[in-house]
Amino acid sequence: MSGKASSSQSSIGLSRSSALSHVYIQYPPLRCNVPGSRGLFYDDGNKLILSPTSDQVFSWKTVPFSPLVAPTSDSISEGPILSIRCSLDEKFIAIQRSNHEVQFRHRETGETFSQRCRPESESILGFFWTDCPLCDIVFVKTSGLDLFVYNSELKSLQLVETRKLIVSWYVYTHESRLVLLASGMQCKTFNGFQLSSAGVIRLPRFDMAMAKSEANSKPVLAAEDINIVTVYGRIYCLQVDRVAMLLHSYRFYRDAVIQQGSLPIYSSRIAVSVVDNVVLVHQNDAKVVILYDIYADSRAPISAPLPLLLRGFPRFNTSVSQSSREDSGSSGANVVPDNEAVIYGDDWTFLVPEFICDVANRLLWKIHLDLEAISASSSEVPSVLEFLQRRKLEANKAKQLCLAIARTVILERSPVPMVARAMDVLVTSYSHSVKTGSYLKGIKSEKTSPSSVPHVSSPRSGADVSASRVDSLEKSVKHASAAAAGVDNEYASDSEENPSSEPPTTNLSDLQIFDGNNPLNANGSEQQEAQLTSPAISPEEMYSFVFAPVEEEIVGDPSYLVAIIVEFLHSANSEKVKVHPNLYVLTIQLLVRNERYAELGLFVINKIVEPSKEVALQLLESGRQNFQTRKLGLDMLRQLSLHHDYVLFLVQDGYYLEALRYARKYKVNNVRPSLFLEAAFASNDSQHLAAILRFFSDFIPGFQNTSDHNTYYRILNEMNSSIAA
Amino acid sequence: MGMSAATTAAEGIKFCIFDLRRGQQEGQELDKILFFFPADLPFSAQLSVIGLSEGLITFTRIFSPEAACEVIEAERHSHVFYEAEPDIWMVMVVEKNESEAIWRIDALRKVLKEVHSLFLMFHGSIRTMIEKEPAGGLIRSHLYPFIMDYLSDFLLGKKLQLPSFRDCLKERGTVQMLTVSREAAIEVQSLVRVLESFAGNTQFYSLILFQDLLVSTTLSPVDTINLFTYAVLRLTPRALSSGVSSWSYLRKGSTTSNVATGSILAQSASVSEQNFRSRDTSPPGGDNSHHIARPLQPDRWSKGKDGFLVTDIWGAEASSSTSATPTIWLQQTEERVYVCAYQYRSLTLILLVPVASILGEQGVSAVKQQILENVSFLPVFTEFFFPLLNPSVYSCPKQFGALIATLTYRSCCSLMIK
Repeated sequence: MSGKASSSQSSIGLSRSSALSHVYIQYPPLRCNVPGSRGLFYDDGNKLILSPTSDQVFSWKTVPFSPLVAPTSDSISEGPILSIRCSLDEKFIAIQRSNHEVQFRHRETGETFSQRCRPESESILGFFWTDCPLCDIVFVKTSGLDLFVYNSELKSLQLVETRKLIVSWYVYTHESRLVLLASGMQCKTFNGFQLSSAGVIRLPRFDMAMAKSEANSKPVLAAEDINIVTVYGRIYCLQVDRVAMLLHSYRFYRDAVIQQGSLPIYSSRIAVSVVDNVVLVHQNDAKVVILYDIYADSRAPISAPLPLLLRGFPRFNTSVSQSSREDSGSSGANVVPDNEAVIYGDDWTFLVPEFICDVANRLLWKIHLDLEAISASSSEVPSVLEFLQRRKLEANKAKQLCLAIARTVILERSPVPMVARAMDVLVTSYSHSVKTGSYLKGIKSEKTSPSSVPHVSSPRSGADVSASRVDSLEKSVKHASAAAAGVDNEYASDSEENPSSEPPTTNLSDLQIFDGNNPLNANGSEQQEAQLTSPAISPEEMYSFVFAPVEEEIVGDPSYLVAIIVEFLHSANSEKVKVHPNLYVLTIQLLVRNERYAELGLFVINKIVEPSKEVALQLLESGRQNFQTRKLGLDMLRQLSLHHDYVLFLVQDGYYLEALRYARKYKVNNVRPSLFLEAAFASNDSQHLAAILRFFSDFIPGFQNTSDHNTYYRILNEMNSSIAA
Repeated sequence: MGMSAATTAAEGIKFCIFDLRRGQQEGQELDKILFFFPADLPFSAQLSVIGLSEGLITFTRIFSPEAACEVIEAERHSHVFYEAEPDIWMVMVVEKNESEAIWRIDALRKVLKEVHSLFLMFHGSIRTMIEKEPAGGLIRSHLYPFIMDYLSDFLLGKKLQLPSFRDCLKERGTVQMLTVSREAAIEVQSLVRVLESFAGNTQFYSLILFQDLLVSTTLSPVDTINLFTYAVLRLTPRALSSGVSSWSYLRKGSTTSNVATGSILAQSASVSEQNFRSRDTSPPGGDNSHHIARPLQPDRWSKGKDGFLVTDIWGAEASSSTSATPTIWLQQTEERVYVCAYQYRSLTLILLVPVASILGEQGVSAVKQQILENVSFLPVFTEFFFPLLNPSVYSCPKQFGALIATLTYRSCCSLMIK
């Protein structure tokens, strides 16, 4: 199976040797180095890296990620800084100065004001800005939550609501809009609130599982043991249980928190990232990362634990390990030519969802998935395809990989049931993406940016066909999206509970993420505008990039390919996906190549091959050796009411009198009389020729004055006179 | 001379096969006869029938060298001729009755054609067998039980009821297709392709029937017709359960009498077998001890526990207790194939595996194993057709409409005939 993997890799032209890694960070990183920096802060609401100095704060945008992005700076007043966050409209900078005070500064006017709490009874644990309609900013204090609104006239904060709770520490991610408040002796009792643009949702209080080490010692849960994870629009919490060495997962619903099972961990220090909805569990001590795709019920990792790879690192110290630079880069702990290349260093901080901050070196790395390596490491083709079809970030790459895998399994003549499942995965995914509209989005952006258009050209029919398909597709998508109106998150319909459509049957409706005018997503969609948003493969593309190329390459009996096409039709039919006529044309050609005319007849009669003009013409063409097949083609033309073509083929086959009758019945007026006259003349039957002349004289006004009439009238006279003589 | 035949079960019917290349010298005329029914007719009477036929054939060739004569109408008898293979003729002489004189000829010729096609499918051509053993014992010992088994389907009471003129309008030499929806058709094709994909580089063939109707075939038309004919005669659920062929709707009620009358044919068969053997010039212990498969023998197929149809017609494997897998010849490709028939409720699936492509019975059981692994979805699959089992279910989906129309048409036909 490894041979297959490598071949699929080579066939899409990847130059990189297969490094043993599924996840990588790309050199160069974003360098957040300014003189006099007093630390790095991450503002996940705006996706900014902030680095304050004594009188200034520098900020770098991390989305879109670019190592070359220049910082912007704001002046701030002197003082200690515990945390720093910009407001979501980026007008204010809020700096927590102490446990009792948060200072606000208007970035343009420079005005400042402060908000304090009662120092004797409570302290501020932290704060975050929110797009909740109720408030603008939330303070998390040991005594609970304070929700404030900014009053622009008074230039101060106004308290709108207080939630009284005892809080030991808290975890918040802007991505999920979820704040978890820990309380209790072991800090394992949680209260949760989601403050999204749809309002505030209070989650029921719940306890997290903690194994006991010994009889009397009770471990205490720490904030770094809790990770809020957002995948496929669902919100999970991953909790490290250091005693049991397990990572417990909880899924958040609107009115319930349900434990979902546990993942084993192999390191006392764990970090969790999410890249393109794939959960990455970094085992810091073991210096490996394990990937999970928490979409299906399976809790099995996608692939074996492998190190994180540093790609593209320029190695000056070549004497150490010249031969395998990537290898040494990934196990950089052994050889450290440059302290920048330390993988899983002690100074690494993992930022939500996909960044690594090297605090000591003031570096920011972005984590990438190596889709080629992941797909090459598994031999389970259908599940690899499923995995790839769920990837949105590198949709085009995922799509190309899927196409390559599909080609490879067919060319290698893998067992038909396996290929059938692979086809089913691709068709189901396409059908789903059409329903949710993500495929259409991809098509539209494809059109706007010609550079990234995958070359859709079919050898047999023009591009206009596929264009019209897209139009009809748009229409159908409009229907679908109208039906699903009100669900602004496309993943919302992904969840198996299907919260939007049938709330009464289940009370487990997912906590959803309401994007609102969130700058994160605005940026994200801007970026994606230039590329595909879905790796889904349309039937046209299946034809152009899988079946047609495979047909040229495959050796031996083509009936295997027919079997695969039948499986594809099977999937397409059950998903109600329309198949391009080119595929039917190909099917006919393959059957004819084996002279399996009887089966071809079955295919046509049972409408497995759907009637169309292309199909009819191919049947006529293939029917040159087989009369029955030609008849099927003629019948199909007639059934499709392609009267003109039908008449032409009747004449071509010598049935010109029948053609005339048919033309008269169906008012086919645009056939040239000379065709009929030539055919009759060729048959050397003067009676037929006379009949045809008469027919046209009777039914075409002015025919008697045409040159055709004169010519053939003369010919007819000559024929008759020669007979008489 | 013909009077003695009047007492036999087959009153008024004579059926013979002879080879014009044999027995051309005086005194050796008996050599021509490969098969004669009724067998207990004196040789002189048999020879007179054959002599007359040969004379007619030779005489009519003068006028029509290309197209041989097909039928001669005498005052009281019709002679139906069919040249099955070059110089091998099948002749049927039937008594005329007043009403349906000429019209049934076509139906009778189809019977002759069919019996020959079936023989070809199971045993190969007559000529080949004659050449294999020029004395003629081999071909006679094959033809006799084969045709007698075939004719046993036409027994009605004590008489052979050959097809009437109405029968030439239907069935024989054709297949009845099941009209299916696109969904079902794709489902069927998917199953067929998966099964055939086991073959690897060689070509497997398959035939799927629903009750007595053809659903799918990958065989050539001629082989499809033969195998379909045989399946409807002996393999489909109805053929298995009733013990009598579902040949014609006319014969549906004849089950009870068939048991009794079968013995009459059997008796005459045993008589004639002795006749043939006494004439057999081959050394004793040679071909006589050879097992002769009788594929048309009724009631010899049954459904095994695993769903495969089994029969002991082809004898048992020497090495094991299991029955040998039947084989047939495909006319189109001229290859010998194993027949694996699997049945699930009303669905009969016949997979044909080239003998050359697999290793004997072991290979067959491997193929069967693969079939079993892949037909696990048959229960789902047959649901497509199931509303039809109960004719009262008329609320079934639209796609079955056409099918019901077909069935209704068929039952109307049968009513008409009754």
